[in-house]
Amino acid sequence: MSDPAAAGWFQIERLPAAIATLLFAAVLFFFLRQARRGRPLFIRRIAGLEAVEEAVGRATEMGRPILYCAGLDPMEEVATVASINILGQVARKAGEYGTRLIMPNRDPIVMTVAQEVVRDAYAAVGRSDHYDSNDIYYTTQSQFGYAAAVCGVMLRERTATHFFIGHFYAEALVLAETGNSTGAIQIAGTDSDSQLPFFICACDYTLIGEELYAGSVYLSREPLLLGALKGQDAAKAVILAILVLGSLLGLFGVEAGRWLGGGGAP
Amino acid sequence: MARGAWSARLAQGDRRILFLAVAATVAFPLLWPLNLPIRVSREARAFHAEIEGVEPGRVILLSFDYEPDTMAELDPMSLAVLRHAFRRGVRVLVMTTYAGGVGIAERVLAQAAAENGRTYGTDYAFLGYNPDFSATILRMGESLRGAYPTDHYGHPTGELSLLQGVDRYADIPLVVTISSSALSEYWVIWAGGKYHARIVAGNTAIQAVLIYPFLQTGQLAGMLGGLKGAAEYERLIGRDGAGVRGMDAQSLAHFLIVLFILLGNLGFLLQRRAARAREASP
Amino acid sequence: MKRTGPILLGFVVGMLMLVQFFTPNPWIAARYNNVLDWKQVVFGVTLILGVLSLLLHHGRRIRRRVAGWSYSGVTVAGLIVMILAGAVFGKERGPYPWLFAYVQSPMQSTLFALLAFYVASASYRAFRARSLHAGLLLAAGVIVMLGRVPLGEMIGFTVAGRFYSLATLSDLVLTVPNLAAKRGIMIGVGLGMTATAIKIILGIERTYLGKGA
Repeated sequence: MSDPAAAGWFQIERLPAAIATLLFAAVLFFFLRQARRGRPLFIRRIAGLEAVEEAVGRATEMGRPILYCAGLDPMEEVATVASINILGQVARKAGEYGTRLIMPNRDPIVMTVAQEVVRDAYAAVGRSDHYDSNDIYYTTQSQFGYAAAVCGVMLRERTATHFFIGHFYAEALVLAETGNSTGAIQIAGTDSDSQLPFFICACDYTLIGEELYAGSVYLSREPLLLGALKGQDAAKAVILAILVLGSLLGLFGVEAGRWLGGGGAP
Repeated sequence: MARGAWSARLAQGDRRILFLAVAATVAFPLLWPLNLPIRVSREARAFHAEIEGVEPGRVILLSFDYEPDTMAELDPMSLAVLRHAFRRGVRVLVMTTYAGGVGIAERVLAQAAAENGRTYGTDYAFLGYNPDFSATILRMGESLRGAYPTDHYGHPTGELSLLQGVDRYADIPLVVTISSSALSEYWVIWAGGKYHARIVAGNTAIQAVLIYPFLQTGQLAGMLGGLKGAAEYERLIGRDGAGVRGMDAQSLAHFLIVLFILLGNLGFLLQRRAARAREASP
Repeated sequence: MKRTGPILLGFVVGMLMLVQFFTPNPWIAARYNNVLDWKQVVFGVTLILGVLSLLLHHGRRIRRRVAGWSYSGVTVAGLIVMILAGAVFGKERGPYPWLFAYVQSPMQSTLFALLAFYVASASYRAFRARSLHAGLLLAAGVIVMLGRVPLGEMIGFTVAGRFYSLATLSDLVLTVPNLAAKRGIMIGVGLGMTATAIKIILGIERTYLGKGA
């Protein structure tokens, strides 16, 4: 059993988590319904995503390929899911312009999904003939082996546009600096806040944290995805209100964290 | 050289000069040590206290969550932690979540065990590498032997004397993760959040900065950050090693980078002033 | 069925993994363990898939003698040598551990060490006080960089007879504004993860099928 100390069908100490999950799901469903009903939902301008078309166009003009890195995390991670969504949009643009898209991968499952996404994207714009599965390949599981492979692609293939979209670790600076030294236009997006400073230093545009998750929504404007994004924002507003209330109560010596199942500050 | 050209060169910098300066700055104190003083942080003392608090004879879990790329920064802290545990008679169950971590774990473990006269199977054991860290960490919460039916050398884990009476996180007083990635967070979320394991973490300096929220909430009981964390721990156990030796080089390298930043800004300010002067003149 | 089947399976397994977190029921716990075991098996199989992809990709490059094909030759040779070394001589002694200790480890360490040089050049080029915000960021960066090394213990200032080193200031920066910002980002990322997980379970998010949303 997961927790021998608990009895019955429900672990009562996890009740706050269950309530929070249900509440969040309810908020999400509300905004999904709003989206299904066709209500317009506002999403602010994100500079990095506005630049995608320009970046792909630049590679086309120069006659050089695009490099796309989906990060180092496996397919089950949210950042990778978001990256593959954006890849679909980038691949569409690349297909429209007839520009080659190269994507080295660290994870074989991500590689498999990416191959299908890119193939479908090319097919959607009537450029199935342009798809080459050899350009979306597996390199190695090793972190810096992957970084070395990507740097090799940048220098040998002379890629004009780089996308670093996903979750990255220490190799981020190696990738971004090498790319910067080649003069390529670079768009990065990561929820890995330890690597954000390096991308901001070395890349032309950077999507920070949740802007990455908003990326595919922003580019596709798909109503259901937009509704889910608004639901997240609403939930964040609720959490913000709870934080402010909890801080005010804390000023008066009331440890509100205990009501939510927390132990209070050590 | 004209002043404008000089400030432009200062603002732009030359990579070759920067790289040579970094190399020289790191090499110099390795050859001529400066022996700068090392202050032990609160987080390192907390980490040390957790190992001190484990009763001799009990089993702790140590996970080598890194590969050769970060071994220069993390090997010193792994070795120091193992030395501390073995010296106190604490038994250690070792695993790794990276394929490249196997060789590292074997080497460091063999060194620490040999120094302290520890026996495999009784005082320590190496479970090895399992693919998919998320499934491994979660599975171990249900059953260690279920996650690892055999150790790295093929011995059935049910027959190891070390694992008698030890099959889940609840049986282990402390989980130690030495990690170069976000794996420390996953240990906290899955092993700590779901199975209430008590966890201490050693991380690279850049990852350590991300772990502070967990330290403040008590989800992590202690933390070592980067080579300095390793140096602090070596001082606490009274045995200096690669951590302490690297502190002089790291100090000077940081100082050099700050100097570079200031020089770059000087060049930038001079350029900006020159540009404004050109705009103002008729 | 080709599309509905995976979505239905995703829903069932997703709900199982969600429900098991809240219930100690032994039957659900056993199914949860089954899923975890299968997850490891699938991961192992995908590694084989990855190796095959690697061989096909580099094999094609070698056959067609494309620019830089010799690097592909080195890659394939390295893969074959390590597999043979481990299979023929074992993992514990012989060429396999030697190659790991004296070839792979130094190469990986060297690549990581490049970061020190890249940090220097990136900092020099990009860390500019173009505005008040950038100036504050610069000041905080300098304080933390010096405060995190022994040198920072020796540099500081005295206020009302008490010495405040850069290390103390660095701790303050890390444990107050840095912590607050990290928490904010973590909350946002956590909500994003939860929303994506709910969307995947309900079949709204279908990227993992490889067919696009």
